[in-house]
Amino acid sequence: MATQAAVASLPTFSAEPALGRQRGLWSDAWRRLLKNRLAMVGLFALVLITLLAFLGPHVGPFGRYAPNDQLYTPGAKQAAPGADHWFGTDQLGRDTWARVMEGTRISIEIGLGTQLVVLFLGVLVGASAALGGKFLDNLLMRATDITYAFPDLLFIILIRAVLTGRSWPVVTSPRIVIIIAISMVSWTTIARLVRGQMLALSERDYVLAARALGAPQWRIVFQHMLPNTLGPVVVAITFGIPIAIFAEAALSFIGFGVPPPAASLGTLVAIGYTTIQRNVWNVVFPAAGVAVLMLCFTFVGDGLRDALDPRTR
Amino acid sequence: MTIRNRWFLLFAGLISLAMVATVACGGGTSSADKTATAGAGSGGAKTPASGSPTTGGADMAPADQQKMIMQLGEPQFYDPHRSNFEQDIAVERFLFRGLYNLTDDGKGGVKVVPEMAAGDPTISGNDYTVKLKPGLKWSDGKPLVAADFVYGFQRECDGKVASPYQGLLGAGLGELKGCDELFGNKDEAQTQALTDALGVKAPDDTTLVFTLNKKVATFTTIWSLWATFPSRKDVIAQFGDKWTDPANIVVNGPFTLTEIVAKDHATLKPNPNWGGQKPALQQITIKFIDDLSAAFRAFQNNELQMTQILATDSTVAKENSSLKPQLQVIPSARISTVEVQMKDPVLGANGAADDAVKKAFNLRLALSHAIDRKTLVDAVYDGVHTPATYWLVKGLTGYQGSQAFDSKIGFDKAAAQKALVDAGYPGGAGLPAITIIYRDSPERRNEADFLVKAWKDIGINVTPQFVDSKARSAAFNSEQFQLFQGGWQLDYPDAENPLVGLFDTGGGNNHYNCSRPDVDAAFKDAASATTQEARLKAYQTVETDIVTNLCGIIPLYQDALPYMVSSKLGGVVANGTIDAGGPGTFCVECWFIKK
Amino acid sequence: MAAYTIRRILWVIPVLWAVATITFFLMHAVPGGPFTQEKSVPPAVNEALNHRYHLDKPLYQQYGLYLWDISHGDLGLSFDGDRDVSKLIRDGFFITAQLGLLGVIVAVTVGMTLGTLSALNQNGPLDYLGTIFATIGASVPNFIMGAFLVIIFAVNLGWLHVLGWGGPHHVSEIFKPSTWDYREVIIPVVAVSVLPAAYIARVTRASMLEVLHQDYIRTARAKGLAEHRVVLRHTIKNAMIPVLTVIGPLAAALVTGSFIIEQMFGIPGVGRAFVTAVGRRDYAMIMGSTLFYTVIVTFANLAVDLMYAAVDPRIRYR
Repeated sequence: MATQAAVASLPTFSAEPALGRQRGLWSDAWRRLLKNRLAMVGLFALVLITLLAFLGPHVGPFGRYAPNDQLYTPGAKQAAPGADHWFGTDQLGRDTWARVMEGTRISIEIGLGTQLVVLFLGVLVGASAALGGKFLDNLLMRATDITYAFPDLLFIILIRAVLTGRSWPVVTSPRIVIIIAISMVSWTTIARLVRGQMLALSERDYVLAARALGAPQWRIVFQHMLPNTLGPVVVAITFGIPIAIFAEAALSFIGFGVPPPAASLGTLVAIGYTTIQRNVWNVVFPAAGVAVLMLCFTFVGDGLRDALDPRTR
Repeated sequence: MTIRNRWFLLFAGLISLAMVATVACGGGTSSADKTATAGAGSGGAKTPASGSPTTGGADMAPADQQKMIMQLGEPQFYDPHRSNFEQDIAVERFLFRGLYNLTDDGKGGVKVVPEMAAGDPTISGNDYTVKLKPGLKWSDGKPLVAADFVYGFQRECDGKVASPYQGLLGAGLGELKGCDELFGNKDEAQTQALTDALGVKAPDDTTLVFTLNKKVATFTTIWSLWATFPSRKDVIAQFGDKWTDPANIVVNGPFTLTEIVAKDHATLKPNPNWGGQKPALQQITIKFIDDLSAAFRAFQNNELQMTQILATDSTVAKENSSLKPQLQVIPSARISTVEVQMKDPVLGANGAADDAVKKAFNLRLALSHAIDRKTLVDAVYDGVHTPATYWLVKGLTGYQGSQAFDSKIGFDKAAAQKALVDAGYPGGAGLPAITIIYRDSPERRNEADFLVKAWKDIGINVTPQFVDSKARSAAFNSEQFQLFQGGWQLDYPDAENPLVGLFDTGGGNNHYNCSRPDVDAAFKDAASATTQEARLKAYQTVETDIVTNLCGIIPLYQDALPYMVSSKLGGVVANGTIDAGGPGTFCVECWFIKK
Repeated sequence: MAAYTIRRILWVIPVLWAVATITFFLMHAVPGGPFTQEKSVPPAVNEALNHRYHLDKPLYQQYGLYLWDISHGDLGLSFDGDRDVSKLIRDGFFITAQLGLLGVIVAVTVGMTLGTLSALNQNGPLDYLGTIFATIGASVPNFIMGAFLVIIFAVNLGWLHVLGWGGPHHVSEIFKPSTWDYREVIIPVVAVSVLPAAYIARVTRASMLEVLHQDYIRTARAKGLAEHRVVLRHTIKNAMIPVLTVIGPLAAALVTGSFIIEQMFGIPGVGRAFVTAVGRRDYAMIMGSTLFYTVIVTFANLAVDLMYAAVDPRIRYR
């Protein structure tokens, strides 16, 4: 589901690279982005949320276990929002504000972490396919097709089940488990994008010229081709973040998200939902958190797309 | 998503009944030292459990309104000889009945009554002869004969059917002659001979003769359980594994199966050829729901008339005047614990030098003293469970309670800190990393968070590791854990059940490797005890020893299960000992919809 | 084009093999088996069960057996109650498809209507309302939408049901109105359709605006054509092309992604069956539902590619 939605939002990049000129492209794009009010609101909100998410648990009169770092004080559980607890408290009397901020941080980490892995895998596979000759191209693209055919969320659930509770070298934290699981199904979009871009670029005049001038292959790749694939990749990655956050939240909701003790926003919604009749706020705030995060990333993604590819609007 | 496997819960009354039968000679069931307690708030008139038909009570709604919907996990099988789970057994008892039946004795205890049998067995040597009631019929109208029972036993003992409860008829319990041999047989050529040698014969249509390896005091109890239900040879031969499909199934119980929609629901209607008390309900719809908080909402919306609910929702029910009387909290014969791997060099130090063993004990003591069980139960479970430092459940003969152990292992932060110093880790300094394995669910997450925080407060860092229920069980069976969220659900109410095999050196369920000479000696005493008092005393010695030494277990609380039962539903008599999947499920024919 | 289509369809076979292989070994790498339980059962019982389900054979033999069976179209019996996996999937998909289809219908109807109205009312109040819906709707996950709908309309107002699926369970009953219970249909359908509806509204609006500013529309207007004819005849028809291309992937996403909603409302679809199967280590059902979804995803992707080709003649297939 995740990748398909991503693809759906990317048809504008399907055929050819958007980048005619090289110099000034980024500054042009930046200027256009600055003018895009929604994108700027989104960006500003994101910066603010990220700051809050990392500092939030320490903002205000309470720690992770409030009040007085007591885990549980009789009568302090499932409280409605108030001056002591801006977002109320949960079943254990913990401060929901602190929990939501912590959950936001985890959700952002998952979104960014996933896209980092996706970026690495996608560029690696895409570039290797484009430049590595016909055999490698065929092999990698078939692998991409197979991964693409896998029902995403089902595959994530399986990988997660395999990795959870292991003490393997890379799988050191629950967050990494879910990051790996989501990345494993989402790199195909970037791989195809990079491959398409690179194949198109390799026939561009300036690449042909550089090649004719005897520039070594690595130099052509790193100096001319990779930077020019960057625009669409950045946009795809930006859209990938909310999709990963959504995927994680949705899986958390049915018990397949980040394994505890980390509690992402999706997990908080899931936990809150079981006690929704006691205290609706424990669903409202994390749910709003998911929505706001997705909204902001979508705004920024839209803005970036418009800025980097002015022909779309 | 999880299947609650209460295992032999329904094994019910086994030994306790044996005690009643042998010790008290059937006289006066000493009132209910059972795990059972009748549902206080059901509001329904107590219907005599069996035998006396009580239909047509003044407060009963007309027949066209006699329909109800209940929540249950989805049964795996509807075949009594293949079932493994509580929900399977619950439905199977609606559909089938055996020679005898377990019902509430009207005082919260359990009694055995003849069901398909005409009366008690005639015993001569190791041969038990049972006469069937005359005129018994299957739901398709064909006569129910002794040979159908014989075939049921043959299936139960057939390794190819692979019944998870075959052990009920095997050595140590049912002692049915030849059952273990047939079950373990791998040689096809031998099958027929072993089947013929099985200790159950039908000399005529209404007579059954069972040959046991030795006398069994619990004969009628075991012969009331699902593993002994009859089977129709012709139907199974014709349809194979599909014989329980609604179109094919033939039953001998009060209800018959008219519809199964996999993953959604099953529908039951009265069996017209049932000879016992006529059920008032004309239709029971069983909705397969695992999400108990959704089930609670559905109950409030009148989509369900009976459902289990989450502990946290019991508070919502209590605070609502119309829901409150419909809430029933039924104590369960289960102790929840943190289990400790005694092979672990830090936590148990089995076989190490005395000094290391002592240090490890002090560390376990620190872990136990650090847990405020009362607050844990209040915080996570809204007080539904009962805090416990004991291991023999309340309701069991031999129950010692928390008073005996609170001072030794109960909540005491100062003592916890001191024990940690004695263990050589003052304030937690120098303590290696410890992990605890937990089954992942919202409630369990809260419980784990609570424990981790409690331990952190005295300086012990424990990392919880959450896995799903199968992975958790796999970790337990392979002994790959340090700390483990565990517990024991009683299979049958006798002190031996939560002890034998769990704490003796090399015991089949002793995956935490508790091994203490004193305990092993006490088990020997119990086995050779001639009186019930001596036997119980030996088991209490075991309990005291394992609890005070925290040998593999740190008790936390005794569980209870909250249910919502509609005030429109009458005739529901809860009996925790013999209920499966809901209050009063042992007598579904007693249920009715009130006006 | 035909050759391309056939090649793509044949390609499904190696894809299915790869997916089957990967899933098979992943699934067996998950700790715990179908008969793992906390309390020890007598070893004879475990042996008997493993033997009955061929779990006592080495893994590669089980894999071989499985491939042999699926190559004959036999998905085997569920470890969870011995039910026929292909029947479970058929029955489940009948429900999933109803939910998906209704979701798509609602999403397309609402999305296109809102998008068109927004475009025709550019910068007017309708446009703002539409844009707000499209923005919020696109960022509220379906399960959160579902949670709030349940609380409001089921628990508080009591109008709708919390659990279950109100559609028919058998094909023969689709057109019998009595088998439909709207109280168990509305919330799940709304929950799955809001996000795609918002997305379709966005695409429709953008596409309509673009078409409205094209020369031929101005020409049509200049020629004095009635406004409704301009809109119906020329604008909508042309604006639908980009919308059509997003409906395909959205529909596939809706069907494969609806299992969160199925799980939430206890709807007996394929997705919920898969989730249950993972928890119970029901190997046959995990394999069966994964392969089934793979077929769905592959054909949806093919349909999307073909649709692109039909819409945009510049795309050629080799």
